[in-house]
Amino acid sequence: MIRYIIRRLLWGVVLLIVLAVLMFILFRVLPTANPALLRAGRDPQPKLVKEIEVVLGLNKSLPVQCWDYLKEIFLHFDFGYSYYSQESVRSLIAERLPETLSLTVGAAVLWIVAGLSVGIVSALRRHSFLDRALMGGALVAISAPEFWLGLVFLFLFASDIGKFKVFPGAGSYVGLTSDPWKWFTSLIMPWIVLASGSAAVFARLMRGSLSETMNEDYIRTARAKGLKERDVVRQGVRAAINPIVTLFGLEVGVLLGGAILVEVVFDIPGIGELFYKAIQTSDFPVTQGTVLLGSMFIILANIVVDVGYAYLDPRVRYS
Amino acid sequence: MRSIRTILAIAVAGSTALALAACGSSSSETTSSTKATSASAISTPGYPSPTTESLGGKRGGTLEVLQESDFEHLDPGITYAALDYPVVFATQRPLYSNKPNSTEPTPDMAAGPPEIAANNKTVTVHIKEGIHFSPPVNREVTSEDVAYAIERGANPDVANPYLKTYFNSLEGVEQADGGPIKGIETPNKHEIVLHLDEPKGQLVADALVLPLTAAVPKEYAEKYDKNKPSNYAAYEVATGPYMLKNDAEGKVLGIGYVPGKSATLVRNPNWNPKTDFRPAYLNEIDIKIGGSEPVIDRQVLEGTNVVQNEPVPQSGVRLAAEHYKSQMDISPGGGNRYVALDNKVGPFANIDLRKAVWAALDRVALNKERGGEVVSTVATHFIYPTINGFEQAGGLKGPTGPQFDYNEHPEGDMAIAEKYIKLAGYPSGKYTGTQTVQVVGASSPPEKEDAEVVNQTLKNLGFNTKLTLVEVSTMYAKYCGVPKEEIDVCPNVGWIADFADPQTVLDVTFAGKSIEPVGNVNYGQVDNPKINKAIAAAEVVQGKEARGKAWAKIDDELVEDAAAVPFDWEKTPRLEGKDVHGVAMLWNEGAWDYSFTSLK
Repeated sequence: MIRYIIRRLLWGVVLLIVLAVLMFILFRVLPTANPALLRAGRDPQPKLVKEIEVVLGLNKSLPVQCWDYLKEIFLHFDFGYSYYSQESVRSLIAERLPETLSLTVGAAVLWIVAGLSVGIVSALRRHSFLDRALMGGALVAISAPEFWLGLVFLFLFASDIGKFKVFPGAGSYVGLTSDPWKWFTSLIMPWIVLASGSAAVFARLMRGSLSETMNEDYIRTARAKGLKERDVVRQGVRAAINPIVTLFGLEVGVLLGGAILVEVVFDIPGIGELFYKAIQTSDFPVTQGTVLLGSMFIILANIVVDVGYAYLDPRVRYS
Repeated sequence: MRSIRTILAIAVAGSTALALAACGSSSSETTSSTKATSASAISTPGYPSPTTESLGGKRGGTLEVLQESDFEHLDPGITYAALDYPVVFATQRPLYSNKPNSTEPTPDMAAGPPEIAANNKTVTVHIKEGIHFSPPVNREVTSEDVAYAIERGANPDVANPYLKTYFNSLEGVEQADGGPIKGIETPNKHEIVLHLDEPKGQLVADALVLPLTAAVPKEYAEKYDKNKPSNYAAYEVATGPYMLKNDAEGKVLGIGYVPGKSATLVRNPNWNPKTDFRPAYLNEIDIKIGGSEPVIDRQVLEGTNVVQNEPVPQSGVRLAAEHYKSQMDISPGGGNRYVALDNKVGPFANIDLRKAVWAALDRVALNKERGGEVVSTVATHFIYPTINGFEQAGGLKGPTGPQFDYNEHPEGDMAIAEKYIKLAGYPSGKYTGTQTVQVVGASSPPEKEDAEVVNQTLKNLGFNTKLTLVEVSTMYAKYCGVPKEEIDVCPNVGWIADFADPQTVLDVTFAGKSIEPVGNVNYGQVDNPKINKAIAAAEVVQGKEARGKAWAKIDDELVEDAAAVPFDWEKTPRLEGKDVHGVAMLWNEGAWDYSFTSLK
């Protein structure tokens, strides 16, 4: 197992290097705009553009730029500096990581609990009114875009602009350490909005997977042997949960790279909002840093999921 | 204005629309008759406007500011964005500034008006005594601090974006790299003299309102300016009534300004109100960065002690117009917008085909797409309201006479269009050439809709078109700003003046000399020898009235040449909470002036 994990981690590093090169090509070789040109004002004098290119290191040949970029990332974990604030990208990301972690972890707990519960109930009550109602609700939740759902929640329940002033609204986020209660209440709506789509997907997946499992021979055998229904269901859930775990790992990985829409709507200054602003201003070092971070989380989440299989399903063994 | 983001996002650049609403007023107060006349012509009735706001207020309180976008640069030597200016002008004092309701420069750090030599080649400014830098510098400001502020603009690590546009006549500026500039002399602690090698004293004097002239203490800033790029902004000190909150070492970054999150302005303890015209009513200004506009609009309209400080999207304008009319301040002078037609190659090298497009284009429809009369006025020429020369160029109606018949029907007139197509050599009254016209517009609303209206107009005239819609920055960086791409029509470009001179509206946008291979802002590659000659002559004209007249004549010639098709003079709305007495900057796209805004 250890060898397997080491191998996966090494492959993860290789994958990150490839991604970093791809991003370099995307942002530096095929850019939508030359950052030096943008920085030079609206009547950009060629001499000034050249001077800024030197300051930003854009005058070097592309392979040299790429090598410098990779070297700094992988040897010093240095993503460079924002073209605008001149702050280090590493610091910008580090400042925002707690916000994104708060949002992701809370939402993940919510969607796994809600999604699995609904999925299990629906699977065990297939074709009942409850099943139809829950699956209908799940369909609505899947169909509702996060941005729209966020606005609806704010216009309905935000304490400043909502019809029913229940939860703190956009921009109310405070850090966990500065005020835990405010932190918690400010994240209730974002958690619900972020979790709703994934919970719905999980519910539908769980329903399908568990329904199938509950018709397996070994379940019938277990029942025939007189096992309590609760224990039978537990066995069924354990077997049905594997595809959910895969998806869970991927979704958490993606969200750790930034829940862009929810962060923007609820004004939570996390990685997603940082990425969104950087894209708008062609702040390439920040864009590259946030994308690489997101990729790293996805790779790590995949490894964790694969290792997790071994514990969830005794049939899985890695060598 | 100046702002990169503004250029890209709003399709114009810059925004210090200084300039006189009408012509020739020497007063900065709203009570002048000139101002009243122009205000009635350019303001939106029923809404607050910088031209009508009282400058009085109650002292004290904390104002909360909500803005979706982050600042670009708060260093006075770099900043060039409408969004940055409210903070910059509350914390920094250039030699001259504008009162919020005026486009006429007022001495700020200067003790009086600039003295321009008779030969127009020397500008002398005397500096007030008793102005001090904020902590940790604390000492009195001298002329050498102003000299250093300008000199560091030429430092490649600072790279001021307009130094060589407006101060290019300063002796030695072309060779400058951050060290002393030959043309800047400081005979004593309170006098600075600018020596020019061309007779452009008036333009240089007008440009002294730009934040580049805000004093920077060399002994403190130099170490930060040696970094690549300079990080002086992270430690910048103030001369204005407010300063970005800092620590004992002067560090601002992470304290008074947290990129992407917040900025906090507190009172500058060393500010001496006797030296300043700003009342500085507020105790503190807390700026929150981030969020989404639909939410911000509602938070402001339903909130207290809060303002929104970015141009309001159409949904917000509609909401405010229907329910919160008194909380939407609409400022005229938001720049012009026009359809750029390639004057150099392709079918629109033919002046009659350009006139045909002008005649056929439904400019009223285009303005409706942008929100109608509340936030827009149908343009009839290029110098826009609030800019010196607007009235001389024909005011709202524009140049008149039979030779301008294509400009007379803003809703479009196909009969006149057909007349010009026939004059262009197409007897059927429809364009029958085989060339496909390349139209490149922005994909976001309302630019997308503008592009579609223009594209349909071209089709109605018989042109085969290929419409490409791209993200706005791509539109400029890869198409409309790159002459070799030979884009025939860019349906939505525009410009905003940097200060109160019409040269800043017409020069780089229509002078042949300003055509550049990349980053070109003469989008239509206008290179008319007659207009070029008139521009060269107008650049050295001295005196506000004379300059207004000279540039108005160029404006007439641009219309006569149908160099492009103007369709919109922008107005910019801003929202305020019900208990805020917001005072907007007429000269800066209606952004709030924190030094005049107060709580009720």
